[in-house]
Amino acid sequence: MRMIQLRIAALIGFCLFALLSAAQTPDTPTSSQDAQKPAAAQDQKAPDSQDKTQSGSQKPSTPPGDLPNAPSSSKTEPSLEDLGFSASQAQGDLKRQALLDKRTHMLKIHQRLGLIAAIPITASVITSLNAGGKNTSTASRDLHAALGGLAGDLYFASAYYAIRAPRVPGTETRGPIRFHKIMAWIHGPGMIATPILGIMAFNQKNNGEKVHGVALAHGPVAIVTAGAFAAALLSVSVKF
Amino acid sequence: MRTLAACLLLAVPPLAPAADSQWILQQGTLTYHVSHPLHQSEGVSHEVRGKGICHAGQCDFLIAVPVKSFDSGDSNRDLHMIQVTRGAQFPMVTVRTKLPESASTSTTIQADLEIQFAGQTAQYKQISFQLVTQGNQIHITGTIPATLTDFKIDPPTLLTLPVKNEMPVRVDLTWRPQ
Repeated sequence: MRMIQLRIAALIGFCLFALLSAAQTPDTPTSSQDAQKPAAAQDQKAPDSQDKTQSGSQKPSTPPGDLPNAPSSSKTEPSLEDLGFSASQAQGDLKRQALLDKRTHMLKIHQRLGLIAAIPITASVITSLNAGGKNTSTASRDLHAALGGLAGDLYFASAYYAIRAPRVPGTETRGPIRFHKIMAWIHGPGMIATPILGIMAFNQKNNGEKVHGVALAHGPVAIVTAGAFAAALLSVSVKF
Repeated sequence: MRTLAACLLLAVPPLAPAADSQWILQQGTLTYHVSHPLHQSEGVSHEVRGKGICHAGQCDFLIAVPVKSFDSGDSNRDLHMIQVTRGAQFPMVTVRTKLPESASTSTTIQADLEIQFAGQTAQYKQISFQLVTQGNQIHITGTIPATLTDFKIDPPTLLTLPVKNEMPVRVDLTWRPQ
């Protein structure tokens, strides 16, 4: 009986030893990989952030498109590559950021000059009431002409920044900005024609003539131009 | 033969490794909201991707979305958004969180989030999310109370008036086990 018990104990010990030997596997090194590598250093609020930029990140052998369905490695944290984002998608582009910065800077100047130009444009329309007609003083006409000239200068300065602002490749124009740009095709030529017609009308009045011919179009062209300008301004200011 | 049978009987179940499970984001929508006295604006992205890896009862989740994928309906506004959030320099928004595996059976969970956006990292504690189980999928909704100052974003202005600092992000995600 005692021999049988000893044999059973030896057998159990042998099997345990065999199982333990088989269960021991070498430790696989786990490295947390993050495909998002910003071009500039990030200002980390959390000092123990899990995101680490590594120069020797693991490169999966499967194509990025198959990664979401592929089993992850032994690490417990997923990475951007696991989600199917390629390194180029996660990589920052400083040149593009600089382009966007320049574009925003120029469009801010465009906006400011455009808003300032709205003041003499509005004043020109108001003073036009006293600039024409039979018995108009030279002072009223001169004031209207001066305001018109100031409006034109500010308008074209604003237009310069809008035209010269860099375009972003691959961007489709959508939304209220489309209407804003379409209006430019009306008030742009209008701001060229209005002062030309205005100078013609001004000279005729100064010569004691009644305004006639194409100079008669100065008023209607100016009104349409001012209307298109106002619509363009409102389209990017308020939500319709 | 007896030795082999005894060894097989003595194969102890606790020595076998715990089974890992994974979750894949089936579909997701993130919506940011920005307020201005003249404008209320929302930008929506459907290009959210996510994955969760569960091990020993604990799950690590990563959700990521490209900054340029947000669409507010105005291409000019979207470009300005990318510029002010440094989206060309830091093209991805990532959200990391850890949840217990048992959370999938709850109807409401509180999660601690770590969000990387605009080159900054912000922590949000105990954000409440609602869970609805639909077959083998889990539908999660909630709102992250993000602000512009959390990510050091200069508030954009319109007619010299800045937008509000609050920039809540609505989350609508559907997960399925892999």
